[in-house]
Amino acid sequence: MNRILIFIGKLIVKILRLFKRNAGNLPGIVLWHLTRGKCVKMFRVDCPIIAVTGTNGKTSVTNCIARLFEKSGRNIIINREGNNLDTGICSLLLRYCDGAGRVKADMLILETDESHVPVVYSQLRLETLVVLNFFRDQLDRNGEMETLIQKINGFCKTFEGNLLLNGDDPNTARLGMANPANKNVRYFHAEPYAYATKEIFEASEGRFCPFCGEALGYEYYQYSHIGKFRCGKCGFGEYEPYITASGIDLEKPVFTADGHSYSPKLNSIYNIYNMTAVAGIAKLYGIKPEITEDVISNYTVNNGRMETFMLGDRKAVLNLAKNPVGANMTLRVMNEMNGEKELLFVLNDNVADGLDVSWIWDINFSIFRDVSRVVTSGTRAYDIAVRIKCSGYPAEKITVCPELDGAVAELAKTPGKKFVIANYTAVQPTRGALKRYSHRAGGDHE
Amino acid sequence: MNKIKILHMYADMLDLYGDSGNMEIIGYRCKMRGIECCIDRYSVDSEMPDFSAYDLIYIGGGADLEQQHIAEDLQKCRQGIKSAYDNGSFLFLICGGYQLLGRYYKDADGVEIPGLGIFSYYTVAEPNRKKRCIGNIVVKTNITGRETEIVGFENHGGQTMGVETPFGSVVCGHGNCTGSSHEGYFEKNVIATYMHGPCLAKNPEISDYVISYCLNRKSDAAVVLPELDDALELKCRQVMVERLVGKQEGK
Repeated sequence: MNRILIFIGKLIVKILRLFKRNAGNLPGIVLWHLTRGKCVKMFRVDCPIIAVTGTNGKTSVTNCIARLFEKSGRNIIINREGNNLDTGICSLLLRYCDGAGRVKADMLILETDESHVPVVYSQLRLETLVVLNFFRDQLDRNGEMETLIQKINGFCKTFEGNLLLNGDDPNTARLGMANPANKNVRYFHAEPYAYATKEIFEASEGRFCPFCGEALGYEYYQYSHIGKFRCGKCGFGEYEPYITASGIDLEKPVFTADGHSYSPKLNSIYNIYNMTAVAGIAKLYGIKPEITEDVISNYTVNNGRMETFMLGDRKAVLNLAKNPVGANMTLRVMNEMNGEKELLFVLNDNVADGLDVSWIWDINFSIFRDVSRVVTSGTRAYDIAVRIKCSGYPAEKITVCPELDGAVAELAKTPGKKFVIANYTAVQPTRGALKRYSHRAGGDHE
Repeated sequence: MNKIKILHMYADMLDLYGDSGNMEIIGYRCKMRGIECCIDRYSVDSEMPDFSAYDLIYIGGGADLEQQHIAEDLQKCRQGIKSAYDNGSFLFLICGGYQLLGRYYKDADGVEIPGLGIFSYYTVAEPNRKKRCIGNIVVKTNITGRETEIVGFENHGGQTMGVETPFGSVVCGHGNCTGSSHEGYFEKNVIATYMHGPCLAKNPEISDYVISYCLNRKSDAAVVLPELDDALELKCRQVMVERLVGKQEGK
């Protein structure tokens, strides 16, 4: 039976390729139906699997972990394009397996959607699970936060492999209690950075202890609900970190973890957390320190995550923000830079974004510092304009240009630093518009 | 009397779909007019406030779990909220807040959570958890004396029945029940609705109705609010109404 399914799957991949179509998901969807939802069960994977999940940062961390092993000379398989559902992983494995479904590699590194962790790894044996964070994200599509955490928690109850958890996020740290018999639970942690606060700064989840319902106490907040927390009643949050980021300086940027100093290219606190997770995996798997340093120091992304464009002589930094946490972080990075700047915010409400845009009201725009002008664009350009206006920002400094090329031209017409925030489906069109402008104005795309 | 006092209940637990934004909007529109707007918060374990001292009591919506959590605490406030309402305080209630002030909320498992029973409507959750009323919604309302189409976003499993005086009629979307013709509940000092978005973001007339009511409830001389430049809000709503109502006609 397996051989037949795999034959069918591979055939679909071949046909799609023949027509030069992307075989990222469709073969998996077909097999999902043929197997009644067990579309990865037919593969035989003998090598270790590392999975990375969480709301923000999955793609970055998955890619970095893959590089750790690649540079150590291992033959790895990774879902680089971010096809992170069971059907996407099925399509990926179809490309690499033999006729019997045997997958040949030294290691599988798989970015896995939060809600699909139990689905995929009830069928494939997982060695290590990295959980980065849980934030409110596209609520109307994924259902409620607690349901999601419960799903993964249910999986963790019987999981005996390595669990590397963000110890500064109560939503992920609680997974460490799911299976008291699992001796392989580890936490990564970060000491406060220069902009850590005593009071919570942005709307967030997980304000109450999941075990006893008490309000959680925080020594400091790094961003959103991420920080050094502890439950005063039951002691949740008391653990010995496996790896700790300290000496964090985002101006350089630099941080130290496990006795090694790292100079990442991306200067945000959430990148520090991501890279600490990467360093944690390196430590766990005994990767040579020079390789880890090389990976962390050279990792950068060209997919709208702090990506730089030159609009003539004006530098613009684009960042994806698919939820309030991402947007708040970008606003912080913007504020932490000196001098006046202008912001372009592109907001779409396509199906993949979640049809609802009310999450923009959880963005704390009142922190704006030295923002001299705002341009808004996208299918919900007016919604974001209203949101920014009601935060107290002067309406006369807001220009609405629903059409993107027009919005980029509007942004570029004045000198100075530019920031661009785009939500999920807006990122690629925004990159396109920025590149087109760059091309016309003779700027570079770094 | 250029001041309004607001009590925002359970802000830390009931804040779905930007519901707290409603308070930011009321605060903004007051500030632009030099009206002092004081917003106090009440949550589980807070000291019992003097509800009647507030011009406006606001409760947002939350996930089921959080809603159950507060239902019990809310019972403790029943007498206070009831007398405030009887004395003319304004009640502004979204989603969960709307449901919990009715007679009861029966959840998807058939468990009945008693409401405050201040209003006679009641809510029964759609037993199929996947069949929720989700999406953008356009409602035609007359509460300001002028027919207005307002826009929000709804996401609820609860089907609210027994409403005699709705907030408005549904132009596009679901409203109180799946495919129903009416949305929300209304009295001169009550707006209860499933509209998130937040509800007031694109609907300045509704914000101003609430603010005027609060300012004028104790005085005979009617204060007329100075106009604000609502060009962005109105354009924002127009874009959505054209998109949604146009779509519906095309069906």
